[in-house]
Amino acid sequence: MDFILEGLRQAFLLLFSGNAETYSAVAATLAVSSYAMAVSLAVGIPSGFALGHLRFAGRRQVRLVVDTLMSLPTVFIGLIVYAFVSRQGPLGHMGLLFTLEGIAIGLTILALPVVISLSASAVESTDANLRTTLLSLGAGKPQLMLGTLWETRHAILAGALAAYGRVMTEVGIAMIVGGNIKWHTRTITTAIALETNKGQFAMGIALGLVLLLIAFVVNGSVSFLRKR
Amino acid sequence: MTLYRLDHIVHRYDKRPALSPALSIDRWSVAEGAITGLCGPNGSGKSTLLKLLGFIERPSQGEIYLQGRKADMGMRRVRDHVTLLPQESYLLKRNVYKNVAYGLRLRKDRSDEARRVHQALDLVGLAPDRFAPRPWYALSGGEARRVALAARLVLKPKVLLLDEPTTSVDAASAQQMKAAALHAHRQWGSSLIISSHDVQWLQDVCHDIVYVFNGRILGQGQRTLLFGPWQRMEGNRVGRRLAEDQIFVAGNPPVEIDNAVAAIDPAHLSLYSSDKDIPGGNMALKGLLTRLALENATGRIHLAVAVGHTEFTASLTAETLATENYRPGKEIWIAYRPEDVTWY
Repeated sequence: MDFILEGLRQAFLLLFSGNAETYSAVAATLAVSSYAMAVSLAVGIPSGFALGHLRFAGRRQVRLVVDTLMSLPTVFIGLIVYAFVSRQGPLGHMGLLFTLEGIAIGLTILALPVVISLSASAVESTDANLRTTLLSLGAGKPQLMLGTLWETRHAILAGALAAYGRVMTEVGIAMIVGGNIKWHTRTITTAIALETNKGQFAMGIALGLVLLLIAFVVNGSVSFLRKR
Repeated sequence: MTLYRLDHIVHRYDKRPALSPALSIDRWSVAEGAITGLCGPNGSGKSTLLKLLGFIERPSQGEIYLQGRKADMGMRRVRDHVTLLPQESYLLKRNVYKNVAYGLRLRKDRSDEARRVHQALDLVGLAPDRFAPRPWYALSGGEARRVALAARLVLKPKVLLLDEPTTSVDAASAQQMKAAALHAHRQWGSSLIISSHDVQWLQDVCHDIVYVFNGRILGQGQRTLLFGPWQRMEGNRVGRRLAEDQIFVAGNPPVEIDNAVAAIDPAHLSLYSSDKDIPGGNMALKGLLTRLALENATGRIHLAVAVGHTEFTASLTAETLATENYRPGKEIWIAYRPEDVTWY
């Protein structure tokens, strides 16, 4: 028990003294998660909305594939991305292996099915009377889509949060594709894994606290937006 | 002029042909500027009919003509002039003001918006200053229903379709909603089509009442409808027990009697204070006069006579009523000829 308490004490020291190694991991995490979320939301929300709102042949099959991709193991995504971006892979010439961009690609693959699937579910679960109301007030097709999107914004935000949670806490992709290189591709989660293996609990706990703080800030912002 | 004309309409929610359609109307038209009532039991197809008339859904087969021209959902003239208040009103996740102004904003018609929104809220009896800033979740069921109606009234629609507008609202709210709907008719000439279980209200305000049953329109006017189970009787007649010693006897039944509906027109019902006065060849039923109501459109008086749980509607002129001593609570005889019963 003592070593945990000591770890906590040192964690606060590391954070408040502006320890460069700790903040390097924090910066790497924020960078890759921001890239991944930006692309996932930009592509995933419209795709998920279309999947939930439109009726087309093969829709159920597409939905099944997307739902299945939600359960992709992160180490498997890491392996596939590694195979593509490694020197002998088809994208080897792009030099993405052991870079933050490489990690961001893997995290996008991880988050995208979550955003698409949860956005589609949010749209599918809208009250049937919403469509009737929008149409009866004079909405045309584009207004019907925009109105539905706006009415489901809270559920879509919840989906985005779930995806963000997966991205922030991911280890496998960052480890395999990023290589856990100090000052370069070491993220919060890979650093925690490494420091724990080394018996350096203080650094691990400090980074864990930062993860919690980021989650708190993100959730707090979403909660504020919901109230508006 | 004709507002709506329905031509060979069939609407199915389930595509399996073995199942009967939700709605099947060969031909039906609605007069412009009139108030038309729809009545019928739950699940009879009233809401489906209103959704088709509001161009919320497209019929599986057939055509709908609006003011003589073929119309379809999405058309500008439809979206701008026809609006439906659905049975379960849904409020958008924004405040009352924005809910009411939503239709105006869709039309990019924002001139004098605040005054028009406040006027619409006034019409439904909601104080604009108190209610306009309220979020959608801070309203009671009756208030939400009135806000939904205000969102339609602010558009000054040519056609206002109301699906059970007063269901699950208190008496005061219902009264205000009824008055607001009539205001739209009187002030802006809106045509109203109202589905309601409040038959007395429909009788009071409607120029025409239509019965919908099993997805079909069972004629217009103040008819009494009788549903099975029917028992076959002698002489090509069937009967339906209404009370312990009262059987409604009808002639010329259809071959398939199980789901048949009998209808009798008020013109074919005669009223007597004593059964001794009833001429031969007539069937007689003893009932209780429960209600008198004035039909505004014709000036005739409708008399509701309860026989068991069935209520018959008869009709008299005001002059005839004045000479007879008919008043609610009086036992009365109704007489009809079994051959005058029509079947659906």
